Amino acid sequence: MTDASITAEPPLRAAPPGPAPGRGPSRYRAGALFLLPAFVLLGVWLLYPTVYTIVRSFFGPSGYLGGWVGIDNYKTLFTTSSLVTAIKNSAIWVAVVPAFVTAIGLIFAVLIERIRWSVAFKTIIFLPMAISAFATGVTWRIMYQQDPSQGAINALGRTVSDAVTAPGVLPSAVPSTGLLQSQGGGLILKTPLHPGGVALLGLTGIAPADLPTGSKQAVKPATKPGDIVGTVWRDFKPGGGKPGVVEQGELGIPGVTVELHDASGNVVQSTKTDGPGTFDFTRVPAGTYQAGIGAATFAKPFGGYSWLGPSLITPSLLIAYIWIWAGFSMVVIAAGLAAMPRDVLEAARTDGASEWQVFRRVTVPLLAPVLSVVFITMIINVLKVFDIVLALAPESAQANSSTIALAMWRTAFSGSFDFGTGSAIAVFLFLLVIPVLALNIRRFRREA
Amino acid sequence: MATVAETVRLPAPHERTSAKILRALGKTPIQILLAVIAVLWLVPTIGLFVTSIVPQSATSTAGWWKIFAHPSLATFSNYSALFHNAGLTGALKTTAYIAVGNTLLVVVVGALAGYAFAWLEFPGRDWLFIGVVALLVVPLQMALIPTFRLYNILGIGGTVLSVILFHAAFGLPFAIFLLRNFFVGIPKDILESARIDGASEIRIFLRLILPLGLPAIASLAIFQFLWTWNDLIVSLTFGVTPITVWIFSQMREFSSSVDVVSTASFLSLVVPLAVFFAFQRYFVQGLLAGSVK
Amino acid sequence: MRTDRKLAIRVVAGVALVAALAAVVAVFAGASQAGAKTPANTRVSGSVNFWGIWSANEQTAFQKVIAGFNKKYPNVTVNYTSKGNNMPTELATAIAAGNPPDVADVAQPGLVKQLVQQHDLKPITYAKTIISKNFAPAWVKLGVVNKKLYALLYKASNKSTLWYNVHSFKQAGIKAPKTWSQLTKGAKTIKSSGTPAYSLCGASGWTLTDLFENIYLRTFGPGKYNKLSAHKIKWTDKSVTKALKEMKQVIGNSSNLYGGRNGALQTGYPQCVDFVYSTPPKAAMVIEADFVANEILQATTAKPKKDFNVVPFPAITKGADAGAIETSGDEIITFRNTPAIQAFMKYLATPGAAEIWARLGGFGTGNLHVPASVYPDSITRATEAPLTKAKAAVFDMSDEQPAAFGSTAGQGEWGLFQKFLQNPSAIKSIQQQLEAAAKAAYK
Repeated sequence: MTDASITAEPPLRAAPPGPAPGRGPSRYRAGALFLLPAFVLLGVWLLYPTVYTIVRSFFGPSGYLGGWVGIDNYKTLFTTSSLVTAIKNSAIWVAVVPAFVTAIGLIFAVLIERIRWSVAFKTIIFLPMAISAFATGVTWRIMYQQDPSQGAINALGRTVSDAVTAPGVLPSAVPSTGLLQSQGGGLILKTPLHPGGVALLGLTGIAPADLPTGSKQAVKPATKPGDIVGTVWRDFKPGGGKPGVVEQGELGIPGVTVELHDASGNVVQSTKTDGPGTFDFTRVPAGTYQAGIGAATFAKPFGGYSWLGPSLITPSLLIAYIWIWAGFSMVVIAAGLAAMPRDVLEAARTDGASEWQVFRRVTVPLLAPVLSVVFITMIINVLKVFDIVLALAPESAQANSSTIALAMWRTAFSGSFDFGTGSAIAVFLFLLVIPVLALNIRRFRREA
Repeated sequence: MATVAETVRLPAPHERTSAKILRALGKTPIQILLAVIAVLWLVPTIGLFVTSIVPQSATSTAGWWKIFAHPSLATFSNYSALFHNAGLTGALKTTAYIAVGNTLLVVVVGALAGYAFAWLEFPGRDWLFIGVVALLVVPLQMALIPTFRLYNILGIGGTVLSVILFHAAFGLPFAIFLLRNFFVGIPKDILESARIDGASEIRIFLRLILPLGLPAIASLAIFQFLWTWNDLIVSLTFGVTPITVWIFSQMREFSSSVDVVSTASFLSLVVPLAVFFAFQRYFVQGLLAGSVK
Repeated sequence: MRTDRKLAIRVVAGVALVAALAAVVAVFAGASQAGAKTPANTRVSGSVNFWGIWSANEQTAFQKVIAGFNKKYPNVTVNYTSKGNNMPTELATAIAAGNPPDVADVAQPGLVKQLVQQHDLKPITYAKTIISKNFAPAWVKLGVVNKKLYALLYKASNKSTLWYNVHSFKQAGIKAPKTWSQLTKGAKTIKSSGTPAYSLCGASGWTLTDLFENIYLRTFGPGKYNKLSAHKIKWTDKSVTKALKEMKQVIGNSSNLYGGRNGALQTGYPQCVDFVYSTPPKAAMVIEADFVANEILQATTAKPKKDFNVVPFPAITKGADAGAIETSGDEIITFRNTPAIQAFMKYLATPGAAEIWARLGGFGTGNLHVPASVYPDSITRATEAPLTKAKAAVFDMSDEQPAAFGSTAGQGEWGLFQKFLQNPSAIKSIQQQLEAAAKAAYK
């Protein structure tokens, strides 16, 4: 604020004879100075490697000595099935993640304006960003385990599922002999029975600890005229024993519902087994019958979804990734909201617009630059996804979950150490993002 | 005039009351919804913590939530084992140098460049900006080999400085992108009047732009700090050992390493979280400073 | 006054002289005391930068070995850095930068071959005599590439073992299997008793290749095994079909695998071990190498002999050597040649160097002069002693392949055997894919 500049030129002159204060070469000089450190860093660490990589992609795996291979590496890129899968997966990531992350961040940013504990909420949502991607992968891998007694998510699923359909008493049991066959989810003894007969229903595949309480030494009941009796028991003793024969050391299974089917297959009686596993169908009219155990007894408990299996692995990864980055989106958008001029909003409200209209017609358009920053950053981050796939996906699902950046790292830094193809993949990645950039550039030019 | 406007616009007050009622009703469901979301969001982190305070034999075959039924299982033996490990403190120090160093560099260089692209004029400015933003897509994996070769020629391979420069360079495109977009939003008249008053660009930068852009700068600093605090691959390649590389090197070849990974990871998140807390207040200050023009 | 001072000076000088003499005597006495045991070599000096994959407790054990080395060579400093499982990548980047370590420990002989072909390694011919003195010819050969000796197999694992839960076997009433038919029959009995027989680590492809390799070894013997390993037999060969059919007997029945086929594919090593020793056990046995013991002791509460026990991999065909062992381990390679490095390499070949670690457990070696008595317990003895006694030792086949085929996640052998676990009936198709991948890697 020197006196000289005040007396120099009146501020409104259109084309001053000499450079106006702050315009012209002195401003250019300032510009150059301000940009110099950035350009040095960018030139050496980003520009030079990019050129190096583009050139390198036209050479073979062992470097310049390996010789020029032209577009061979690019051909490999599109013909190797593992790389094509990686491209497909990356497309899914790009289509899903940026949109979700931006939307969730926007919703959170708007909602937390209304609560007093917004700092606590922001910290909680942002917390995953503080954890390394590797540790996040390990954490979610543990949560996604299929076994409901180990994986938190399937444990929740089991609680819900078991509340709806209770699991059977013997989910893993199988018949011990071929006489007992499966029918409609349950088991049926094929040998025809008449009143005074005995039905032996031997089962294996049950651990002694899983037997219902009250289990005793199995007993083959004596025949009763007019009744059909029998036993349901764990037909196994150490060493195997004789299947189909009730032996010493084999335990009966109490609490199993046994059904008596008549000749046409209808269930005419049902009863429960006692401690030694015996049951008794009383006063059975003459005829041919079959005994069986209903499907409900064998209902398997919720087995858990294969979150880490080949088909669900990508959605599982997407969820974990959104969990990490929603915080970033929320914080940036909240900063944008904070910087928004309040008077415009107030004016809209005074004009009688509802909250939703204010949001849609005023807030979102004003936030557009911030939203686009988040969206574009996420697209680029998603194309670089690496640590979390490495840590979360088990080796068996790595091929199905592979992304472009991971495929590139694998090709160049492990396995065949092929820098030629690796460079080609990197160049492909670069080419993919250009349309996105073009969009943003167009918006930018429109603004200016 | 206000009274005239209000008497003319009869429906408006009516809407405003209904809107107010809606807003009042709307508050509690939102509170509950956000509370539920917050709790669910915390579950994985709680899982990580529980895994670190329970001996391995307990978590290897049962879900970690069992601890709530058997609180006596909790032990800090994993943590004490970690503290007795000589490499840990060195690794933490290295992490701090890298994270703080490169964040400072990015913020300073990025803000200078962001301002230049926003408010300084020079030929080809817009195309240069597009070029800089285009560099956002360069995957850092690909720069590892050429940079590594370069470092060994310069003789700075394996030093903390080498990693700082690498991270700073890769953080710049986003920094310049973010800051330039924020600076553009600063009202033109403020800058014009300062220039007319004869202030030099550097003065405008220090006295006007930095204070006004504080929310954005704070956000940028947090992200850059976090990203580099938790980076693994860059330090691994350049032979430097911050906490992430240290954890990685402690993983046993043929045994489970969950006790080391979960414990060290949980320890490691304390610092970034503290940083976030500290910078949180800047947001509020920035808000207040920005609204009073 | 002057005379007092002169006297004082004389006294001080005298004391100093005596002290110096005493110090000299002490040094010599100390040196000769040490010399009474083994003469410490103080002429060799320098430093050795050692990159290893051992971390945590294994690193502590190796530090003790280094201490043992320093007793003999006090002027050589060995700096150990753990690189964990990332060793191949770390080495590749360091070599590319022209700055590799002095000595490294590498688990894949295929990688060693690659490094020799790239002219990165220095031969260790100076250690040939001492290595030949301490190791059987088959073991020495494992470190030879292109007729020169480049590597010492210092730490070895016995991969032909089978671990089981004692209580599950008792409950099923079966004895630990000695033959393949005993294994498959016993597995059916175990299933009837209510526990799945096998805990497979399908997510870790190398465990599946280990199972295949042990089956092939026990069916066709070391000669044919080595031919397949050198790709002199194709993967489409009838012998491979037979071995895969035998493997199907284990992996074919999804209900006899803990977690079923899907669960097995998602479970990695070492989690599959934990499942066998949980309460109640989720499966009765896990078929993997001797290092399973480390995991059991660290992550479960199972006690040796009471809860867990081990048997050698069962015999399959009478003709094949039932005592042959598949081994894998750490090969020590050098990138430079200095007197300090030579001293260290020669030391590692001595039985003393192996015994220091063997005493601590979790270590096996092919060194003929390491007595079985140094191992700390009977189970370790049972798994490690055979390493020196086995008439034939072959190396882990997948480790001997080029890395792209034999040891890369999701592709080559690892990926294809996971595919095989997913669909055990597609034997012909898997064979064709294996051969195609091998051909591509070997070109």
